[in-house]
Amino acid sequence: MSVIDSFRADRGGDDIVLALLDNMIWPILAITIIGTLVLVPQTFNNVRSVELLLHSSVGLGFLVLAESVCLISGHFDLSIGSIAGFSAMFTALALSPSNWALFSSPALGVLTILAVAMLIGAANGIMISKLGINPFLQTLAFLIIFEGAKIALSSLPVSDLPEGYTTIGSTPEIAVGALLATFLIVAFVMKNTPFGQAIYALGSEEESARAVGINTDRMIIAVYCLSGLFSGAAGLMLTGYTTTVSPETASGMVFPAFAASVIGGISLFGGRGKVSGALGGVLLLGLVQSALNLSGIGVAQIQAVNGIILLIAIVLYNTRSNIRSRILTAEASQ
Amino acid sequence: MSTTDSTSTAAPEASTETLVHFENIKKQFGRLVALQDIELSIKEGEILALVGDNGAGKSTLMNVLCGVHQPTTGTLHYEGEPVSFSNPSDARERGIETVYQDLALMNDLDIASNIFIDQFPTRFDAGPLRLIDWNETYAEAEEILDYLNLDLDPHSEVSFLSGGERQLVAVARALSFDPQLLILDEPTSALSVAGTELVQDTMRQLREEGHTQVVVSHNFEEVLDLADRIAVLYQGEIADVVSPEAVDKRTLTNLITTGHR
Repeated sequence: MSVIDSFRADRGGDDIVLALLDNMIWPILAITIIGTLVLVPQTFNNVRSVELLLHSSVGLGFLVLAESVCLISGHFDLSIGSIAGFSAMFTALALSPSNWALFSSPALGVLTILAVAMLIGAANGIMISKLGINPFLQTLAFLIIFEGAKIALSSLPVSDLPEGYTTIGSTPEIAVGALLATFLIVAFVMKNTPFGQAIYALGSEEESARAVGINTDRMIIAVYCLSGLFSGAAGLMLTGYTTTVSPETASGMVFPAFAASVIGGISLFGGRGKVSGALGGVLLLGLVQSALNLSGIGVAQIQAVNGIILLIAIVLYNTRSNIRSRILTAEASQ
Repeated sequence: MSTTDSTSTAAPEASTETLVHFENIKKQFGRLVALQDIELSIKEGEILALVGDNGAGKSTLMNVLCGVHQPTTGTLHYEGEPVSFSNPSDARERGIETVYQDLALMNDLDIASNIFIDQFPTRFDAGPLRLIDWNETYAEAEEILDYLNLDLDPHSEVSFLSGGERQLVAVARALSFDPQLLILDEPTSALSVAGTELVQDTMRQLREEGHTQVVVSHNFEEVLDLADRIAVLYQGEIADVVSPEAVDKRTLTNLITTGHR
């Protein structure tokens, strides 16, 4: 056996550890399901309760997708929640007969919410790539601007929306199906297209990606457009789920979205993680939320639990990064 | 300072065909003159070393050749034609590939993806919708690694590799474009002795197979051992173009530090 062969054989164990670290959401999810079955069994009472669990996670799921693509590209987006809320409010007012009444076609409504959200995402991308603004500051500014703009548009809930528009988000089969289909498509694109691989390259080393010929500015704009698009889809689903858009729609959802992405194995520094893992993160958060709701815990306490979950996600991420760098340092010194 | 016509110091092994000719190249950044009066030829199949002190203009000259910088005045000739590269992609289209000192590798990606990141083999190609053919990607990566005598699994992450292996993955990526001219910027500066040997063996192999190489290096041993000719830059000008057999370390040091032998 050559030196290199023995080196590779030794590395087999490390490969398994690294693969486990990258996919640890699934054992965590399994343990949480078992824990929930024991402590709050009514969470899985019947098919309807599971359906409700999945349905209530759809809005968050699209926001997790938005954040995950951004994180993989080495960027992040604090404004996803406010983009979802603003685009939902804007479109609701445009559709509502008692408000702007600009149009009544549900299809046009869907196009409008997605287009508005994508345009805001594109603005994020252009500011960051072309003007060199720090992504944290840029998206924080948009978080504040569009959160304020949403309330400025209407401080009252808008509920007289066309049925065809809200059906997408209010029908569990359609909403959950759309979320799963979108996750599947994005996972496929990320893995199997040059575009997806360029997003990973961008997140791994932006300078290197530029040096090898990837148009990094264009990629950054595309990533924020996607982030905006999925945020718009989240706004659409949240609108349908409650059949109303209120000034509270999608508020405060950016942090659970971060938590789900990171628990799902998406790297905070880009270049690593699978969209399928992020879906695991969505299911985990949805499950915890349902279990907490059913166990009679108050809204304020649930908020605190959300914070704890985010903290656990960050600790897990750090542990994973530390183990990973320890393995790689050991490899390099061999 | 003497400016020597490079064609007068041809290495015996190298072809006499000129691949690149810098004609009276000058490059200025604001008031700073980084290069001037550059007259230099690179012949097919040779290894030309570019040496010089910090700030002598080695990197600027390399960047003019690979399209990062455009000359302020003068003409770059490639295969006998005047060319103007406005970016590295233009240079790539003509067959010039560069391996930068920082290697431009993506640590989180595997070896095959690093090699083909900007030109994956595809199994479906309809404009913007293209699907990567992963079987072909790994097979071709394996082929290039075999060609470089590298016993590496193309599925391995680049972050696992040693310095020499990383350097050669960067070379493999450059070779995947089937370049006529390979520019290597300080290829061994950060490597162990074993890594340096690995890279130098590969450079010799590439020369045997007819690849023209330009090496920017600070390493005298490497330059004297590997290069067919050595172009010494001093304060933005060509101080001399010499054959390694015709100089020793002291002469080279004098040329680098004073511009004279």
